[in-house]
Amino acid sequence: MTLPQLLLAVDIGGTFTDIVVFDPQSRQIWVEKLLTSYPDPAAAVLDGVSALLDSQAISPDAIRYVTHGTTLITNTLIERKGAKTALLSTAGFRDAIEIGNEGRYDMYDLALVKPKPLVERRLRFDVPERTLADGTIWQELDTNALAGICDQLKDEGIEAIAICFLHAYTNPAHELAALERVQARLPGLPVSASHQVAPGMREYPRASTTVANAYVQPITERYLARLDRGLRQSGIEAPLNIMLSSGGTTTVDAARAFPVRLVESGPAGGALAGLYWGKRLGHRDMLAFDMGGTTAKAVLTRAGELSISNQSEVAHVHRFKRGSGLPLMVPMIEMIEIGAGGGSIAHLNRLGLPAVGPQSAGSDPGPAAYALGGVEPTVTDADLLLGYLNPDYFAGGDLPLDVNRSRTSFERLAAALGLSVDSLAWGLHQLVNENMASAARVHAAERGLELRRYSMVATGGAGPVHACGVAGGLGIRRIIIPPLAGVGSAFGFLTAPIAFDFTRSYVARLSELDLSELNGILRDLETEGRRIVAGAGVPADDISAQLSIDMRYVGQGYEVRVPFPMQRLDDNHIAVMQGAFEAEYRRFYGQLAEGVPIEAVNWRVLITGPAPQIDALVSRSGSASADSPPACRPVRFAADAPPQETPVFRRDQLSEEWRADGPAIIEEAASTTVVLPGWTARMAADGCLLLLREDER
Amino acid sequence: MIDPITLEVIWSRLISVVDEQAAALIHSSFTTVVREAGDLSAGVFDRAGNMIAQSVTGTPGHINTMANCVRKHIAPRHPIDSLNPGDTLITNDPWEASGHLFDLTIVSPVFYRGRGVAWFANTCHAVDIGGATMGGDARSLYEEGLAIPLMKLFKAGDVNQELIDIIRANVRVPEQVIGDIYAQQVGNQVGARKLIEMLDEYDLPDIEAVSAQILNRTESAVRAAISALPDGLYQDEIGIDGFDEGLKIACALTVKGDELRVDYTGSSPQVDRGINVVLNYTHAYTTYTLMAALAPGIPNNEGAFRPIEVRAPLGSILNCRRPAPVSARHLIGHFVSQPLLTALAEVIPQQVIANGSAGLWNTMMDGMDAAGEEFAYVFFSAGGMGAAYDRDGLSATAFPSGIMGVPVEAIESAAPLLMRRRELRPDSGGPGQFRGGLGQEMELEIITGMNANHSCMYDRTGNAAAGLLGGKPGAIGAVALSDGSHPHPKSHYVLKPGQVVTLKLPGGGGFGAPTLREPGRVLEDARQAYISLEAAERDYGVIIDIDKMTIDCEATQARRAEMTQNNESL
Repeated sequence: MTLPQLLLAVDIGGTFTDIVVFDPQSRQIWVEKLLTSYPDPAAAVLDGVSALLDSQAISPDAIRYVTHGTTLITNTLIERKGAKTALLSTAGFRDAIEIGNEGRYDMYDLALVKPKPLVERRLRFDVPERTLADGTIWQELDTNALAGICDQLKDEGIEAIAICFLHAYTNPAHELAALERVQARLPGLPVSASHQVAPGMREYPRASTTVANAYVQPITERYLARLDRGLRQSGIEAPLNIMLSSGGTTTVDAARAFPVRLVESGPAGGALAGLYWGKRLGHRDMLAFDMGGTTAKAVLTRAGELSISNQSEVAHVHRFKRGSGLPLMVPMIEMIEIGAGGGSIAHLNRLGLPAVGPQSAGSDPGPAAYALGGVEPTVTDADLLLGYLNPDYFAGGDLPLDVNRSRTSFERLAAALGLSVDSLAWGLHQLVNENMASAARVHAAERGLELRRYSMVATGGAGPVHACGVAGGLGIRRIIIPPLAGVGSAFGFLTAPIAFDFTRSYVARLSELDLSELNGILRDLETEGRRIVAGAGVPADDISAQLSIDMRYVGQGYEVRVPFPMQRLDDNHIAVMQGAFEAEYRRFYGQLAEGVPIEAVNWRVLITGPAPQIDALVSRSGSASADSPPACRPVRFAADAPPQETPVFRRDQLSEEWRADGPAIIEEAASTTVVLPGWTARMAADGCLLLLREDER
Repeated sequence: MIDPITLEVIWSRLISVVDEQAAALIHSSFTTVVREAGDLSAGVFDRAGNMIAQSVTGTPGHINTMANCVRKHIAPRHPIDSLNPGDTLITNDPWEASGHLFDLTIVSPVFYRGRGVAWFANTCHAVDIGGATMGGDARSLYEEGLAIPLMKLFKAGDVNQELIDIIRANVRVPEQVIGDIYAQQVGNQVGARKLIEMLDEYDLPDIEAVSAQILNRTESAVRAAISALPDGLYQDEIGIDGFDEGLKIACALTVKGDELRVDYTGSSPQVDRGINVVLNYTHAYTTYTLMAALAPGIPNNEGAFRPIEVRAPLGSILNCRRPAPVSARHLIGHFVSQPLLTALAEVIPQQVIANGSAGLWNTMMDGMDAAGEEFAYVFFSAGGMGAAYDRDGLSATAFPSGIMGVPVEAIESAAPLLMRRRELRPDSGGPGQFRGGLGQEMELEIITGMNANHSCMYDRTGNAAAGLLGGKPGAIGAVALSDGSHPHPKSHYVLKPGQVVTLKLPGGGGFGAPTLREPGRVLEDARQAYISLEAAERDYGVIIDIDKMTIDCEATQARRAEMTQNNESL
C-alpha cells in the first residue's frame, strides 16, 4: 500500500490560526482551529499541525504539499513594527513617498490625516543619477556618493534598504548597479530595488511598494525561516509554498524576496474558495460575499477568473476610505471591504436617520447579546431579535445570546425614531443589506459587470444570514453556502496553483510597438517567472505562461485588460491585439471610440504550475432523514407583518435529497443560513447548500 | 411620509447610483484632467432641479456650481415636463454654470412611467475650448473660447450634430473634447438606468418625497450647526496677488439664529484680466468651506445651501459682470476659503485651519517635441495647507480644491520635459505651536533643444498665507529662471533649452505662537530637515546642539523668554 498523499494548508489570521488537511484519495478533510500565538506565530502552527496529525494518526511524511498564508505582513505594516529602513532615491526625489498624490481623500474633513511614510525623511538619501522616460541615461550614477551613503547607513544601524530611481521600470541599469554596490558594501542587509518589486510607472506608488517590501523583509525572513525549519523538524519534508495576494502560491525564497506580495493573502484564500465552490456547482460568474464580525468583503469573478489589480492600498488611516492607505503596486485580487459586520453598531446620523457601522463592537465587548459588556445595538442583535439567530446555538452553543439585552440595546434608538424595536431590527437588517449591495453594485459598475446573472457564494459567520437579502438587492437569483465556512481561506489555499507574475509598464501605440525590444522584455519576465515556479519543484513541462495586456485608447487613463497568447510577437499580432481590445472595450462601454489610436500600457506575464486537484469532497450527509419533522420558531420577515412560524434545520443532519421552501432557517456551528420567503433551499454537491429564487427552480 | 428606515435605504441607494454615474463617466473619459486630477462633478436632482446627492469624486468648484445651474437656470427654462425622453441639455455659460468656458455642464432628464422624474447632471473640465489657452491673459470673455449657451445636446436621443460640428471646428483637440462629451452623456444614461431600477424595486413613482425629506433634514442639520455659533458679525480680509496689482477679498459673516450670511462687500472691483469670479463660483467655494468647517458629516445638497446666503457686489472681483474675462477664475475663487476660516476662528478655532497656499499652481507647457510634433501639457501642483489647533498643516496638499497632482514619471512620459528636482521646501511652513504645511520646490527644463511656451498660473508670490492665533505666515511662492530673471507668475514666456525654471510653492500658515511648540517637535523637524537649525532658533527659540542633535535647554529657555517679551512689548 502506498503512503497517502495529503495536502496541508495553514492560515494565520489576526485571532485564529486555521489548519486544514485534505486527503485526495478518500476525499476526506480534517480541520483544526486554534488561537494565533504572539509574538511567535509559528509556534501555534507547529503545535496545531502536530495535534491534528496525531489525532488522525497521520504520519508527517504523508504530507506531500504545504501551503501557507498569513496576516503577519499586513499587521506589521498596520502596526508599524517593521525594520529600520532607508530609501535611496534619485537626487531631488526623496520626498515622493511623502508628497504622494497631493490630494485629500475626504473633501470635507479639515482635520484629515495622511498615512505617514514608512521611512522618515532623514533616512531618505539623494543619489545623484538620472534616467529619462525613454530609458536613456541623462546623468551617470555617482558611485562615490553612493559609497558615502552606505557608510552613513552602517552608522545609522539600518536594517533594510529600498532603492527607487526614476524611470527604473524602463531601464533598471542604475538600480542594478546601485544594488550591487550596496550589497557589496553592506553584506547581509536585505535590499529591495523598485524595478524588481514593482516595475510600473508612477514614482509614488512604486517607491511606496518598494519601501513597504524592505520594511517587512527582515521580519518575514525570520518568521519563514523559523516555520520552514519547524515543519521539517516535525517530519514534514514537503516544501513550503507561500500564498500570494494575487491568488497564486510561491516558494519561500521568492516570498522572502518579495514579502509585500503576501499582503492580504488570507482574503485571497477566501476568494479562491469562493471560486472553487462556484466552479464545482457550474457557476463561473460569481460574487464571493464574506461577512464577519466587523467587515464584509466582496470579490467578483468573471468567466471563472478572478480580477487582479496592480493598484491597492494597505494600512489605511481610515479603514474604509479609499486613498487613506499606503499605495501598493503589486498584483492583488480585487476586493471591496466595507464596515458592515455582525458587530457593526447602529446609530443616528446627522440627518437623524438610522445608520449602521463602520464603528463595530467587534468581538470584545461584542454585540449586546453577548452579555460581555456591549450595550450598543448591533447587526447581530437585530438578527437575533428577528429570530434569524438561535440564542442557544450561536457558535454551536459555545456563546449563548441574551435576547433581552439585545432588546434593551435597541430601545433608545427605536424611541428616537418612533419605531417599535422589532420594526427597527427589521429596518437595520435591510439597511445593512442595502449598504453591502450598494458597495457591490458600484464595484461591479467600475468593472463593467452586470450582477443580475451572477451567483453568490456566501461565507463568514454573518454571510449566510444576510445572503438572500443582499442577493435580492442585486437581482442575484442563486446562492451557494459552502461547507467548511470556518476555515474558508485555508481551504482556498489548497486550490491555489503555484504561480508568479510580473507586470511591466511599456507604453506604446500598437502601431509603434518596438517588437524586438518588447519580445526581449517578455522573454526576461517569463524566464524569471519560470525560474521561480520551477524552484517550487514544478516540472518544466507543467509550467505554463500567460500574457495579458492592459490597453486603452490614447488619451484615456483606465486600461482594459486583454488576455493574449504568450508567444513571440510579430507584426501580424498587432491587428489581433486590436481586435481583442475592441471586443473587451465594447463589453465595458457599449461603443468604440472609432478612429482613436490604441496603446498598450502594461504587460503582465503570469507563470503557473498546475493547481492541486481537489475533485470533490465526501459530502457528509446527516443521519436524520429528510422527512423528520424540523423544529420551529417565530421569525420576522417584514416590518409590519407578525413573525412567521418557521422551520429550523440542522445542516449536519440534512440528507443529500433534502430541500425546503422558504422561509426556513438552517443552523450550523459556524453560521446560520436564512432562507427568505420566495427562495428555496436544497443540498447540492460536496455538502453545499444551494438557495434559488423561486422562479429559478 | 416615508419611514426613516426606508428613507435611509433609498438615500444610500441614491448615493450609490450617483457613484455609478461618476464611475461610468471617469472610466470612459479621454482626459487626465477628468480622470487623474478629478476635475468633475456628478449628481442627481429632483423634478424642480434640487440637487439631492452628489458622487464622492469631485471638486467643490464643480459640485456646487452645477447644483445652482440646474436649479436656477435649467429646470426653470426647460421644465422637465416640456422635455422628451432622450433629451440632454448642455451649457458652458460661466455665469450660469461653473465660472469659465472650459467646464461643460451636461444635464439629462429621466423619464419613468411616461413622466419626467429626475435629472442627472455632471460638469467636467474640457481639455480645450478654443480661444486663448488657459491662463489669465485675456481682456474679455470673447478671447477665451467657444461659448455654448444652454441648448439641447441630444433631442429625443439624436445628437445635435450642428453643435458637435461647431465644437469640432473651434477646439484644438476635438477627439478628446467630443470624446469626453460622450463620456458625460454615458454617465447620465447609466445614472438614469440605475435610478429606474431603483424606482421599480421600491415601487416608487418618483423621488419627490425622498428629496423633500432629505433636503429638509439636511437643512435642519445645517441650521442646527449654525445655531451652535453665537449670533454676531465675524469678519476678515486678505490681500491677494491679483494679475499685476494686488487685490483684496473682504468677507463679513453674519450669524443670526440658524441663518448665516456671507457678504463680500469691500472686495476689489473686477479687473480686465481673466481672473474674475462669477457669483456662482464664489457661492460654491463659500458653501463648501462653511460645510467643511461647520458640518463635515452632513451631506452636501440643496438643503444645505438654504440657510446660507452669499452676496458680493455686482462688478466686484467675486461677482463680475459679463463679459469679463474669467478663464483662470480659480486663482481668486480658491481664496475665498481663507478669510472665511479666519473669520470663523474667532468662535470655532478648533474647527478651522490657518491660511494655506490655497490656489493650485497650474503649469502649462506647449511647443514642438523632438520629432517636430506639437505638444501641450498641463499639470496641477499644491503648496502647503494651514495648521490646525492640534496638528501641523499638510504639506503639498491641495485645499480647497479637490484636485490631485500628477507623478513626475507620467509628466515626463507625456511631454518632453525634465523635472530635475521635486521635493518638499524646508522652512516654508509657517512657524507656530503647530507648523504650517510645507510647500514644494521643483525645477523644470525642456529637453527638445527647442523653445517651449510656459504658461504660469501661480499665486501667493506676493501675499503669504497668514498664520492663525499667533501662528506665523508660510513662505511666499516664487518663480525664477536660471539666468536670474523672474517670469510673470500669471502670464507666459518662452523657456529656452538649457534654461531651468524653479518653482517654489508657498507654505501654509502656522497655528498658535511658535514659542509654544514643544521643543522636542522643533528638534524633530530639524532632524528631518523640515526646518533648518537657524529657523529652529530664529522662529521657535529652540537652540540645538548640532553635534549631538539635542536641545540646549537653558539656552532655549532664555531665548524663548526673550522672544515672548519682545512680542509683548510690540
